[in-house]
Amino acid sequence: MFKKTLSSLALCASVAVAAQAAPISEDVIQQSFYPYAKGKPTAASIQPGMVISSANVDAVKDYLDPAMYQFIKNGDTEITVSDTMDFALHDSYVEATRKYAGDTRLGEKIGEIEGSEAGRPFPQEPSLDDPRAGEKLAWNYKNGYNWGDSAAIMPFYWKYRDMNSGKVERTVKFNFHFLNYTHRTQQEPYPAITPNPSNLFRGIYVQVLEPFDIKNTQLLIQRFDDDLKRDNAYLYLGFQRRVRRLSTGQVTDAFLGSDLMIEDFEGYNGRISDMNWTYKGTKTMLLPMYNHNNLELDTETHADDDGYQVVAFGGKGGCFPNIQWQLRKVYLLESDPVDPNHPISKREHYIDAQTFTIPRNITYDRKGDMWKSWLIGQAHPDYHLPQNKGTGVSIDDSFSMVDIQANHCTTGQFKGIVDATLTPESKMTVQNLRASGA
Amino acid sequence: MSNKITRTLNTISMGVAAGLTMGVASGVNAAEMERAGFVENATYYRDGVGLSKFRNTIQGEFSKALDTSSWSNVTINGTLRGTYDRVYDLNDKEFGKDAGEDYLGQNWHPRGAATTFIPGPNTTILSAGVAFPCENDPLLCRNLGGYMDQDENDAMFPEFNDELDFIRELYIRGDKYLDNGDVVSVKLGKQQVVWGKTDLFRVLDVINPVDYSRHNIYDELEDIRIPQWMVTAEWRMGSTATFDDSNFSILWNFDEFRPNNLGTCGQPYKILDAGCFFSAYINLADLGAPYSNNVPIIHDVEDPNWSLSNTQFGFKWEGVYGDATFSVNALHYRQQLPSLHFRKHPVAALAAAGLPAPDGVFDIRFPRVTLLGGAFDYYSMATDATWRIELAYTEGEELPRDTNGHKATSMARYVIGMDKNLIIPALKARSAFLISAQLFGEHILDHVADMPNDEDNWIATLLFKGWYMNNRLSPQIIIAHDVAAKSTVVAPSISWTPDNHWTFNLALNVKSGGDETFAWSVAGTETFEPLARFTNGPIGVANQEDELQLTVRYSF
Repeated sequence: MFKKTLSSLALCASVAVAAQAAPISEDVIQQSFYPYAKGKPTAASIQPGMVISSANVDAVKDYLDPAMYQFIKNGDTEITVSDTMDFALHDSYVEATRKYAGDTRLGEKIGEIEGSEAGRPFPQEPSLDDPRAGEKLAWNYKNGYNWGDSAAIMPFYWKYRDMNSGKVERTVKFNFHFLNYTHRTQQEPYPAITPNPSNLFRGIYVQVLEPFDIKNTQLLIQRFDDDLKRDNAYLYLGFQRRVRRLSTGQVTDAFLGSDLMIEDFEGYNGRISDMNWTYKGTKTMLLPMYNHNNLELDTETHADDDGYQVVAFGGKGGCFPNIQWQLRKVYLLESDPVDPNHPISKREHYIDAQTFTIPRNITYDRKGDMWKSWLIGQAHPDYHLPQNKGTGVSIDDSFSMVDIQANHCTTGQFKGIVDATLTPESKMTVQNLRASGA
Repeated sequence: MSNKITRTLNTISMGVAAGLTMGVASGVNAAEMERAGFVENATYYRDGVGLSKFRNTIQGEFSKALDTSSWSNVTINGTLRGTYDRVYDLNDKEFGKDAGEDYLGQNWHPRGAATTFIPGPNTTILSAGVAFPCENDPLLCRNLGGYMDQDENDAMFPEFNDELDFIRELYIRGDKYLDNGDVVSVKLGKQQVVWGKTDLFRVLDVINPVDYSRHNIYDELEDIRIPQWMVTAEWRMGSTATFDDSNFSILWNFDEFRPNNLGTCGQPYKILDAGCFFSAYINLADLGAPYSNNVPIIHDVEDPNWSLSNTQFGFKWEGVYGDATFSVNALHYRQQLPSLHFRKHPVAALAAAGLPAPDGVFDIRFPRVTLLGGAFDYYSMATDATWRIELAYTEGEELPRDTNGHKATSMARYVIGMDKNLIIPALKARSAFLISAQLFGEHILDHVADMPNDEDNWIATLLFKGWYMNNRLSPQIIIAHDVAAKSTVVAPSISWTPDNHWTFNLALNVKSGGDETFAWSVAGTETFEPLARFTNGPIGVANQEDELQLTVRYSF
């Protein structure tokens, strides 16, 4: 009787808060964040340690995206397979998901969301029957743990390469910084930095260290929590000593002459509302995720007191990182731009289901032909720099953007550091551009 | 100010910087010094003249971080530059101490009423300018002392002078983090301080004087600002309840005042041809009795003594409010362009007749100016473009006029700019093209009819720039048009950067205009000299300076 009364009271309470959604079940949490707890993915044709080359790639075609398959088939590169690793995100992010995801729902328009304070907004498995499943995946990426609450890449080497000759045309040395203003879960303060009068969501700050002609060029991107609002982007040019606002045209432009648009950063660096999103299914696939400390690294590009070395590159034109690939649970997501004048027709995103990073992208030009192949290698934080251990951040560790049509690529070699002291809020101000540039 | 005092001040300033450096350095850990630099050759060929520049430059920059216990981000920064322009050897008929003209302004206009035969004495009113007066004319050299008194060697090696201009920058800076999260940042030393958002023209960017003798208005301001010994203190409040970013800074320019370098007569670039006008005479034959000698145009250049009251100072509040960035600026400084003060004849009756003093017609002065202004930019989603506005109101400026040489007037200047990036498929570039347009306006609040400048004038600029081959090949065209002067410059160029070290830039610079005349009461009719140089402006007066320009740079 007493039990019944309590149940009735609980029912009344839930009715009283009316539309409040049911809390997320622990099964959903477990499936979303620990997909390999009950076993790692397997494929009959793929074993850890094997090397996939043009000779055997047809046997594993189903586990590769079309661009990667073609590169290997052409003999442009070979890949080594390793065992699947558990890239568990930080407990604080998982806990925030438990706390808030039950109250999160999409708004009427693309780009509108309610109740997403922190954590993964939609941890439920996507369904092909859900017309907005793609949009939910996009939100899971945007509000994902990514670099955690803040991190820095110091330094970050970009090399512009002729894929035919292998000539390195330019080497640009950067520092990159990331800071979340909202949706914070681990670093004080959380869930948000205040004051934040314009309700910024995230800041990205980029500074060029070399070469001389673009030294001190700096980029600041401020993204708003309101996805319908366009980013504010500022560029500081060292030779002008002046901060200039960027129009969105520059966000889809080749950044400093590389093969990347600003919009390409991290797999997708734009608004949800700039794209139409379509969920295409879930697959087991090979993704570039690895143990950095197990790799044969580049001994020439970077030397450091702490002995850290960056990922080495090889293959055709030096366009492919010498890393390891592993079988992962992958969400296939397509995005096509809302703006008819956008320089691309669509991107195919291969999202790692556990981390919601985007290790693979294929970009199609306006005619619908395959244009660019994006690869961003993910390193496990426990096998990287000592200070990254235990952070639960899947470390962006190497990238390659191949312009398939131009036979040109830009490669990236990272020293990613999850350390809040490297990215204070003052780093994300317009004034910092002026002060750092002068 | 004498050279000796200048040297003393520089020594003191360097001593202050060195002292601070040592003070900070004691008990600190020094990081490795970062170094970079370049060597460059700029070879320009002027139509009808020949070589106009063979400039060889070496520039080195360094930055050294220091770890201190109480301050953060402490660095010592320096930029050193040396230039050797061999044009004075390679084209000494046109440029240098032996250069000469048949009449004043021959390099930009036909003979006019003031420079050709007129009724009466069989000569001209104004003589041709004397090239490098300190090589050729001791009287002019003395009169122009401290301003246009350089010799050919100084022009050949412009950084190696008493002002130690080879030190482009040398400063120490550091941040102090306050308990409330605010940051106080201090920067002390020889430096450039840039205000405003305008390209090519200076509305708020007036703190450092500019060396126009390097390449008129066409070099990057970064390379032609004359660094000054200054201290800036900035209080960075970061985001507040209202603003996304808010900063307040104060500036004290404690250096000796230096005017803009307009170029000495005999140099390839002498903006407005002022250098030759200032080294000209009124011919004795026209003046007659009671004069016994030609009368130099310039009698003396006011060179303000260093004193606390002669230093320059200002403040700026800037921030971000929503989609707009803004600044509010105030500066009390000294006009960097010369103002001509007429000197009457000491004999009252002759003065009443408007005759000048026999030892020189004008004194050059640099009056104090107070500036209030602001800048604003805004990204418009509707136009997918960034709009820039910059405004400045000044009091105390002096502009040229026929009678008395100058008139004090308040001024309003403004720029409206628009930057837009546009993909143009027909041009087969993967990157968007940059289209940047500006309208620079100037309003003379106390305008009078005998001013050669219009009460209102506008200069429009357009930049169209594209990128190919991963930004390593970049064509661009800059067009500027001066409405009142009816003069235009078109400057197409293409830049190629094959690797991290080499950059090649090939450019054309073609001007038209310079045809406007203006009445000078002495000549009695519309003519070019001397006032139409102001009407025609820097573009029109350079109308015979069409050039093909090649610059090769190796960066390290």
